[in-house]
Amino acid sequence: MGTDTETKRKQSAVKEKAPLRPVESPMDICLGCGTCSAGCAMTGVDGFDPRKIVRKVLMGRDAELVGSKLPWICTMCGKCEHACPMGINIVNMIRTLRGMVDRDKVPGMIQKGVELCLETGNNLGLPAEDFTFIIEDVAAEMAEEPGFEGFTVPIDKKGANLLHTLHNKLVNTQNEDLVHWWKIFHMAGEDFTIPSENWEGVNWGLFSGDDESMKIVVGRIVEHMDRLEIKNLMYPE
Amino acid sequence: MATRSGLLKWYPEFFDKYGAFTVFDLLVDYIKSGRIKLDKSRFPMRATYHDPCNYGRKSEEKFGHGYYDEARFVLDNCLEDWVELFPTRANDFCCGGGGGALLTPYQDARVHYARRKMEQIKRTGAELLVLPCHSCHGQIKAVKETYGMPDLEVKYLWEVVAEALVIE
Repeated sequence: MGTDTETKRKQSAVKEKAPLRPVESPMDICLGCGTCSAGCAMTGVDGFDPRKIVRKVLMGRDAELVGSKLPWICTMCGKCEHACPMGINIVNMIRTLRGMVDRDKVPGMIQKGVELCLETGNNLGLPAEDFTFIIEDVAAEMAEEPGFEGFTVPIDKKGANLLHTLHNKLVNTQNEDLVHWWKIFHMAGEDFTIPSENWEGVNWGLFSGDDESMKIVVGRIVEHMDRLEIKNLMYPE
Repeated sequence: MATRSGLLKWYPEFFDKYGAFTVFDLLVDYIKSGRIKLDKSRFPMRATYHDPCNYGRKSEEKFGHGYYDEARFVLDNCLEDWVELFPTRANDFCCGGGGGALLTPYQDARVHYARRKMEQIKRTGAELLVLPCHSCHGQIKAVKETYGMPDLEVKYLWEVVAEALVIE
């Protein structure tokens, strides 16, 4: 008594007695305004239309969406939900639909990458010795450029300041793009390291709607930090 | 995006033990602290910048901060003449390569998706497009010829920094 201020929340009989709104999921509050569809570059392509997808979910017509290519031609760019006047999380809905597809029916390369990453530590299925060879080869070439003499890539360096992971395409076909960060690190005097295994910097469970694999791949980052006693993480992507 | 949201969701204790930085945090820190020096004259041509969805509006929604200003600070330190796309920041158009689109069999849809993005870029008259995302990089490079811009140079933000480095 006497300690209430104007900003302190008080009990409200009205709030207690008023019925809860019958909102089971965010889709239930869709106004059908079509702002999402108007802003989406994919609307009208192969029957894609975010407003209709939200409606279908609202009506429980999941099966029509799960078996279709619609969740996969969406780029999950989030423009729809950024503009949505009701704040409906449309990207999460699309990702959930992706996750409901049988894993052997996930289109294209995504699932293969996920499985290879779980098995081998990278989406390419590249053995550790091949990885080390590529890294050392590219680093040696960089060390021939003026200003970068003596440069080497510290692999599995204990106590390093910064953990650096790699996008698989840089290790695969775009080796020339490996050196940009290395050059910056060299000039900045950054004490970085790259892990020799589980070096994959992307996590395609994000795309395939697969939380289980996503968690394992994120967990490997934590393992590196613990095992190598690294101080800071450079977010991979 | 995947790693940061995964750490927050499944390994929140990570942040008690370790620091974590985005590519922008590192670049801005290296420049501001003087650990790297940059020479703008390496890039005399007109350039423009693409805000990727994941670092822009999606980071804003998920982490409470969109990385817009950081990239622009870096560009100001590397480029003589760069101009904004319109619309930009949180309202920027997706390039069409997000969500794993480059990995699906629906390639015609992906190429078609890029039409607004490419029109945006064309209107700036830029010869160089800078971006900080591997998916956007792959997508724009793959579609630029289709949209009549075979000579458009596409570079990562950190590639521009690396090439502007003053070698000491």
